[in-house]
Amino acid sequence: MKKYERITAIIASLGGVWIMYYAWHTLKLGSIHIPDAGLLPFLCGVGLAVLGIIWILILQWTKETENEGPAEQRLWHRPLLSLVLMVLYGWAMESVGYITSTLIFVIAWQKIIEHEKWLKTMVIALLGTVAMYALFVYFLKVPIPPEFFAR
Amino acid sequence: MDIFTGLINGFSIALTGTNMLFCLLGAVIGTAVGVLPGLGPAATIALLLPMTYVIGSPVTAIIMMAGIYYGAMYGGSTTSILLNLPGEAASVVTCIDGYQMAKKGRAGAALGIAAIGSFIAGTVAVVGLTFFAPPLAEFALDFGPPEYFALTTLGLLLAVTLSGGSIIKGLIILFVGLLLAMVGLDPISGKIRFTFGSIVLQGGFDFVTLAMGVFGLGEILYNLESTVKTEIVTTKIGKIFPTLKDWADSKWAIFRGSVIGFFIGIIPGGGAVISSLASYAVEKKYSKHPEEFGQGAIQGVAGPESANNAASSSSFIPLLTLGIPGNAAIAMIFAALMIQGITPGPFLVAEHPDIFWGVIASMYIGNAMLLVLNLPMVGLWVQMLRVPYGILAPIIVLFTTIGVYSVQNQVFDIYSMLFFAALGYGMRKLDFDPAPLPLAFVLGPMVERSLRQSLLISGGDLTIFVSRPISGTLIAVFVLLIVGQTAFYIKRKMGGKKTPAT
Repeated sequence: MKKYERITAIIASLGGVWIMYYAWHTLKLGSIHIPDAGLLPFLCGVGLAVLGIIWILILQWTKETENEGPAEQRLWHRPLLSLVLMVLYGWAMESVGYITSTLIFVIAWQKIIEHEKWLKTMVIALLGTVAMYALFVYFLKVPIPPEFFAR
Repeated sequence: MDIFTGLINGFSIALTGTNMLFCLLGAVIGTAVGVLPGLGPAATIALLLPMTYVIGSPVTAIIMMAGIYYGAMYGGSTTSILLNLPGEAASVVTCIDGYQMAKKGRAGAALGIAAIGSFIAGTVAVVGLTFFAPPLAEFALDFGPPEYFALTTLGLLLAVTLSGGSIIKGLIILFVGLLLAMVGLDPISGKIRFTFGSIVLQGGFDFVTLAMGVFGLGEILYNLESTVKTEIVTTKIGKIFPTLKDWADSKWAIFRGSVIGFFIGIIPGGGAVISSLASYAVEKKYSKHPEEFGQGAIQGVAGPESANNAASSSSFIPLLTLGIPGNAAIAMIFAALMIQGITPGPFLVAEHPDIFWGVIASMYIGNAMLLVLNLPMVGLWVQMLRVPYGILAPIIVLFTTIGVYSVQNQVFDIYSMLFFAALGYGMRKLDFDPAPLPLAFVLGPMVERSLRQSLLISGGDLTIFVSRPISGTLIAVFVLLIVGQTAFYIKRKMGGKKTPAT
């Protein structure tokens, strides 16, 4: 945890310095009488840079906490996989249309993330797609990307 | 318009068929998300933000959103009592004695007193809101840019310091939120900031994408890591109405919880979580039998549950009167108002009395609805816990994706939401409290505008912030808070170092 926190603190600090430079060089700070678009970004950059440094120093001074008993097992690959699926779903929605992409997305989710059986997967995919279509398209009249075969 | 005329007009609006229906819908959805662990009121309101475009009437939309917020406070106690699993953060403390009561076969009494306490406290807070908000709004009419700058910065700082997490992490998130709010056109000079050549980004990030990403999908992604399956409820609920002894034991706890919750709810950053913790501490301290706390003391359920409900209602005061959202869920309601083209603040009472009084009146009705929904129908809500997360998660993903797409009909918003989802997930992994992010995002433009206007008015004289009585007082509180927090931190660190040596 401490390793990741240190990396985050360094990113915050370096990000803050870059924002200060960008605000000063590109946006311009203006003067105290007539402040320009870069003033608040510059102050935020200063804040981030300083906080990042303080955090690094605090991490340097504090000891890594001992492992408190058996921790709950966490499956980090599931959120990453689901994020990839969601990005592909966004892309597919425009490419093949809403209904087709939604069906494929739910099937992929149930098989890859949840490891469900085919029958349950298909039932959830069909019901989910129909419910979303009914709510957003039929009742709320949201215009959705058309299906690839109907273009 | 005086308070009573306003309230009567408010009831005439809230009692229309459509508004009653949406109030009930909000109460039902709120109770449901309160019952379901892993989906809080802020996330749910975020998920439903696109619906506000479709609902059309701003008063109806806000009535529903408010219902979700205070409804979640009612529902949150159910899983805390029956499963020792808080449905949402404000019910964490209810687990301590609520679950012990359930283990002793008194789940019904615990659920009953939680619902009745919530109803009483919610109503007390709405009465307070009715009488407290209009004079505060009138007072706020005197606010100029320096006062708004002082108030918004103090509000943001309070949100960070009162969140209970790391202050450094909270401040970092605060600055990130402010910077995200600056993406796009500068409202004063018209310069383009942080767009990196992207034309779509010139309009800035949409609040809906940020809220749905960080709170909705971010929470889903984090929960997907968990291997813990929801426990099936086997506890017998029993008689739901508390006995006369239960009532006698809890009446003062409910009263104290209502007062504590009301005042903590007004403070930006206060809200339901802190008020429930404060109420529990007060009940334990002043109890004749503090040793019973943790063993199933009914006051340990009545006080915190009353406090979190009172706080959820009173947190509408800074929103409706000053235009300052005090916590993440209220920031979502702030955004819902902005979506409808309504700026919350001191002019709301005069310019949109229908919204101001309609929402307040709906809270009286909503509290009564929630009592009916939560007392006799508690068994029904428990059944919801049987829905597996594996089904719930993809349905929420579908809902957010089409919801965010519907705002501007562009796929870019989906990618933008996924970026915020990854950010929200990362924040949870690194133990950052995401609450200051939406607050900074919605208050960012106000902070910048008021800072630059103040400097323009004063000709660059920084004493404008301290020479005016209201802004001077607020800045003094701001400074005291920073000095106090720093001194507290140093003292704690030094004390911590001394202990092992002695």
